[in-house]
Amino acid sequence: MNTAMNDASEVLVDCQNVWKVFGSRAPAAVKAISDRNLSKKQVLQEFNCVVGVCDASIQIRRGEIFCIMGLSGSGKSTLVRLLNRLIEPSLGRITIKGKEISKLNAAELRDMRARHIGMVFQSVALLPNRTVLENAAFGLEVRGIPKEVRNKTAKAALDQVGLSDWVSRYPSELSGGMQQRVGLARALAADPEIILMDEPFSALDPLIRRQLQDEFRQLTKSLGKSSVFITHDLEEAIRIGDRIAIMKDGVIVQVGTAEDIVTKPADDYVSDFVAGISRIHLVKAHSVMTPVAEFKSSQPNCGVDALLKTSPEADIGELIDLTMKSDRDAVAVVENGAIIGVVTIRGLLRGVAGAPAAELVAA
Amino acid sequence: MDISVMADTFDAWVDDALSWISDNGDWVFDPFRAALEGAYNGVLWLLQLPPFYVIALIGALLGWRLINAWAGALAGVALVFCSVMGLWDQTTSTFALVVTATILALLVGIPIGIVAGFVRWFDRALEPVLDLIQTLPPYIYLLPAIALLGFGPATALVATFVVAMPPAIRLTALGIRMTPHPFIELGHASGLTSWQMFVKIRLPFAIPSVMAGINQSLMMAFGMVVIAGIVGSGGLGETIYGAIRTLDIATSINAAIAIVILTMVLDRLTQSAAQRTEGRAK
Repeated sequence: MNTAMNDASEVLVDCQNVWKVFGSRAPAAVKAISDRNLSKKQVLQEFNCVVGVCDASIQIRRGEIFCIMGLSGSGKSTLVRLLNRLIEPSLGRITIKGKEISKLNAAELRDMRARHIGMVFQSVALLPNRTVLENAAFGLEVRGIPKEVRNKTAKAALDQVGLSDWVSRYPSELSGGMQQRVGLARALAADPEIILMDEPFSALDPLIRRQLQDEFRQLTKSLGKSSVFITHDLEEAIRIGDRIAIMKDGVIVQVGTAEDIVTKPADDYVSDFVAGISRIHLVKAHSVMTPVAEFKSSQPNCGVDALLKTSPEADIGELIDLTMKSDRDAVAVVENGAIIGVVTIRGLLRGVAGAPAAELVAA
Repeated sequence: MDISVMADTFDAWVDDALSWISDNGDWVFDPFRAALEGAYNGVLWLLQLPPFYVIALIGALLGWRLINAWAGALAGVALVFCSVMGLWDQTTSTFALVVTATILALLVGIPIGIVAGFVRWFDRALEPVLDLIQTLPPYIYLLPAIALLGFGPATALVATFVVAMPPAIRLTALGIRMTPHPFIELGHASGLTSWQMFVKIRLPFAIPSVMAGINQSLMMAFGMVVIAGIVGSGGLGETIYGAIRTLDIATSINAAIAIVILTMVLDRLTQSAAQRTEGRAK
């Protein structure tokens, strides 16, 4: 994880060594975990308890969209429900805005959920007997905000998701994508700092999904919200997330930016996952460039200074465009006025194909 | 000890207990009887105050608003037919009995059903009791009632009330339990109090089932009200019972037709009201 950035911005959600154990003998299993450091497998064998979330530690910073990616049964939905205590953690500490949520009493917890943590569900869960506007105002209504005020706020939220013409309709009259927009508007209307998104777009068709992903990211960023976004789709996680955590069997296997995960997968599981991902816009010049000295020794008669120049943050797509424009087969990478490396066609091909960085240097 | 002696002893106890209660319980049962008969007479008075065609017209209007014009016309004509057969007084008195008993059954049954929907052990304890009520032959309820409340509509009301209550309890409890899980989660995640969860989430989802319960209670009450003719319920039940004793087939058929008309009108009206609430909830 990038510690430098960690210090720089405020941590809104802090999850430390959190476990969730399901089963009739869960308390005994939890005790054994903390006393004897049992592994997941041992817990299953000894106590017949399933570990839903295993020793998870994540931190979500203000303004960040944090994706948790995993297949069904990986514990991602459990993890997100631990964050607003829809599920009680068996072990570990979860702090939201500096408050440890397991220590809140019932009223404080309700207040925390109503004001600070919004949630959007895969099933949308729009109340069928209420209009779109009444649904969007639901969170405000339960807080006892007067009808006029809450309707105005809800209308503004519906406006943001592009549904201002549908306020007096019933949910059954809306398409799946529109229903999910109402779900998002309902979460936004309460103006929480943190929005938990539990696979919100999974049931939508690909075109609508992509459109909603872009809108969601743009809206969240412009409103300065933080979000934890659950998905089983790595492409979605890459599209939306500032950082991505990959979960497998209750364990967080890797946390990092999309580029980290694609270029430096932590294990075989992650590398299998990223194998099908297009790298064109993910891999940046600094991870495919060859050191200047090496480039000079392999191609002594090619002047580095004559190459077209670009920044270390240029992605492969831009590098390909530059190489096509250039009459040479290489592009120089410049940082702070100095050439720090050269991207050759060989490097570009490696970047597209997805060879690990170490191999790249060796080649 | 011989088993038959044990059974006889038990029977003797029950007899003794019942006569003790009827001898010493007047201070409870007399006001109770008066209250029941008061409620019944009140409803009956309301129904018999206007001439028969006004009631028929109300039936027709309700049918038209809740179902369609055709159903409304049919309901109106059917009710007028009851009067043409010379059974209007009996029809209204049966109607009053059924409505009073059903309202009482709902007033008691729906709250019990709500509690049963929430409290698992209560539901489990209730289940065999409801099974017993529903499987015992309905005549059984007439006996203790007649012993304690005497001959007349109060007895018929109590017996009908007992028979009409179980469906209201069962379907209310079912409706409360049936709230889809994502909505419960939505409620928790939005920070609802338990009361808000009940009123804003559980109840709206339960209403179609509760409405079905009301309809079923009404139908059970109709079934019982004819049987209650034996204990002097008045109305069509007593007409049929009298006709059976004198082998007056014509009268018994007329009264039966009136019962069928009344049942069908009320059944369709409440069913379509139930469907309306369901349609809104879709």
